[in-house]
Amino acid sequence: MSKKRLMKQQEERDAFILLAPLLLLMLVFTVYPVLANFFYSMTKWKGFGAAEWVGFQNYARMFQDVKFWHSLKNLGVLILYIPAGVFIPLLIAAILRDGLKGWTFFRSVIYLPTILGYVILGTLFSIILSQTGPMVEVLSFLGVQDANTINLLGKSRSAIHTVAVIFVIFSKMGFGCIYFLSAMSGIDSGMYDAAGIDGAGWWQKFFHITVPSISFSIQFFLVLSFIEVFARMYSFIYTLTYGGPGFATFTLEFGIYRQGFQAFKMGYASSWAVVLFFFCSLIAAAQIQVLKKGDQLS
Amino acid sequence: MMNQNNRNLVSRTLVYLFLLLIAFVSLYPIYFSFITSFKTVQEYTLSKTALPEAWVMDNYAYVFRNLNFLSYLMNSVFLVFGGMIVYLFVCNAAGFALGMLRFRFKLSIFSFILFFQIFPQMVIAAQVYRICSRIGLMNSHFGLILVWVAYFAPFGTYIMSTYYATMPRSLIESARIDGAGVFRQLFKIMMPMAAPMVGTVSIVGSLAMWTELPFSLLLIQDPGKRPLSLGIAIMKGEHGIPIPILTAAILVSALIPLVAYFFFQKNIHMGSTAGAVKG
Repeated sequence: MSKKRLMKQQEERDAFILLAPLLLLMLVFTVYPVLANFFYSMTKWKGFGAAEWVGFQNYARMFQDVKFWHSLKNLGVLILYIPAGVFIPLLIAAILRDGLKGWTFFRSVIYLPTILGYVILGTLFSIILSQTGPMVEVLSFLGVQDANTINLLGKSRSAIHTVAVIFVIFSKMGFGCIYFLSAMSGIDSGMYDAAGIDGAGWWQKFFHITVPSISFSIQFFLVLSFIEVFARMYSFIYTLTYGGPGFATFTLEFGIYRQGFQAFKMGYASSWAVVLFFFCSLIAAAQIQVLKKGDQLS
Repeated sequence: MMNQNNRNLVSRTLVYLFLLLIAFVSLYPIYFSFITSFKTVQEYTLSKTALPEAWVMDNYAYVFRNLNFLSYLMNSVFLVFGGMIVYLFVCNAAGFALGMLRFRFKLSIFSFILFFQIFPQMVIAAQVYRICSRIGLMNSHFGLILVWVAYFAPFGTYIMSTYYATMPRSLIESARIDGAGVFRQLFKIMMPMAAPMVGTVSIVGSLAMWTELPFSLLLIQDPGKRPLSLGIAIMKGEHGIPIPILTAAILVSALIPLVAYFFFQKNIHMGSTAGAVKG
C-alpha cells in the first residue's frame, strides 16, 4: 500500500518536472503579459519609460473612437464569411474522399497557400489585386472597361470583403481540406454502401453520414476559424492593406499595433487589448467546451 | 438509363471544373511570383501575365547581393533549427505528462494551457517587449526563440498529448521497474514511439516559426539579425521596390518550406483527434 503511494508521489513529481519548462515559459511570456495588460490599460504610457495612472480615461476615449467601432464592425463582417470558410473545405474534402482520378494532386496543390504563410500571401495578393497588377490586365483583356478603377483593396467599401474572402475562405482552405480528409478517413465505409443501397444520393450521404460523423472536427475547425479572425490576422493585414485605405481594414489586433507601436499610445492600445482579451476568452471557453464534449480532455 | 449516365457525366465535369478552379487559385500566387521573378522591370511594366522573354537571374542576384537575403536566410535557418530543438523538447515533455501521467489538477492545468494559447501576439506584445528589454533579450535570437516557444508550444503540446494518451501505460510502468528516470522514459521510450506525431508537430512548429512576423518585428531591430519573413514585410513597406525583385525575394523565402513540403507531404497526417494545425 505504501509502495503504491510512493509510486503515486513519484508520478506527481515526474509530471511536475515535465510540465515545468512549458509552464515557466508561459508564465513569463504569455500569462504575465496578459495580466499586466489590465494594469497598463489604466495608464498613459508610451510603451517605454514611466506609466502614469489615468483610471478609465483610455476606455472612455476608446468608446468614442470611430476606429474602435469600425474595427468591431470589420470583425463582424469577417465572421459572416466563416460559414463559407468552413463549408467549402468540407465540401472539397468530401469530393476528394470519393477518390476520383487525380485526387492526391488536388490535395497537394490546395495546401500550398498554407505553406507560404500570411506574410507572403498578403504581399502577393496586394500585388495581384493592385491597380497595376495582373488582375487588371486579365480583366481588360476580357473586355472589362476601366478595369483599373475596380481596385478592390483600395476602396473602403470593398476592401474588408476582399480581405475576408482571401483570409477567411482562401487562405485556410488547404488546411481545412486536409484536416477534414483525415477526419473522414475514420468513417466506416459500410455506412455509405448501406445508404447507397437505400438509394441515397451524394448530397444525402454528405449531410446524413459525412457531416454528422465528423461533427467534432467541424466544431473544432469552426472555433479555430474564430481564433484566426480575432487573433491570427496581424501579419496578413500588415502586408495586404496595412489597415487601409484609411482605417477601412482595421481589426482590434491591427489597431493595437498601429496605436501602440506606431503612434506610441501604448496605454490606449492596451485598453483595446483588454477588449480583445474578452473576445478571445469567450472563444477559448468555447474551444474547451468542444474538446470536453469530444472527449479530448480527460 | 441513358439519362442517368448523362447526368453523371455532367456532374463529374462540374466537379472537375470546380476542383480545377480551386487548384488554379491555389497555384496562381506561386506561378505569378515565379514568372515575375525572372522578368526585367521593363518587361513587368509591359505585361504582368506574359512569360519572361529571357529568364534573367538578375533579380535573384540583386536580392542576395544588395538586399542581405543571404544573411536573412541564415538567420531563419538558425532560428527555426534552434527553436525546434527547444520546441520539441517542451511539447513532448508536457505532452507526455498531460497525455499519460496521472497527477492532481491535471484538467485545470490543461485548460489553463489551452486558454492562454489563444491570445493574439498583439495582446501580449507590449509586455513581451518590456520584459525582453528589461532582461536583455532584445535583438537576441535566443530571446526570440524563447518567446516563439512560449507562444507556439501550447498547441504542439496539445497535439502530442492526444497521441501519448493513446499509448499503453504499461510502457512507463515497466520502464520504472527498470529504474529509468523520467527523462530517460521520455527520450528513450516515449518520443521514439511517438515518431509519426513528432513529425507532424515538427512541420507545424517549423512552419509557424518560419513565417512568424509580429514578434520578430518587435524584438529584432538590428538589420543583421532579421529573419526572412521580417525581411519580406519590411521590403513590402518600402516604396518603389520593383515587383520582380520582391517576387524573387518571396521565392527565396518560400523555397525551403516548399521543397520540404514536397518531400514530407505524406507525413502530414493528422489524426482526427489531433486538433488543428496552426501555430
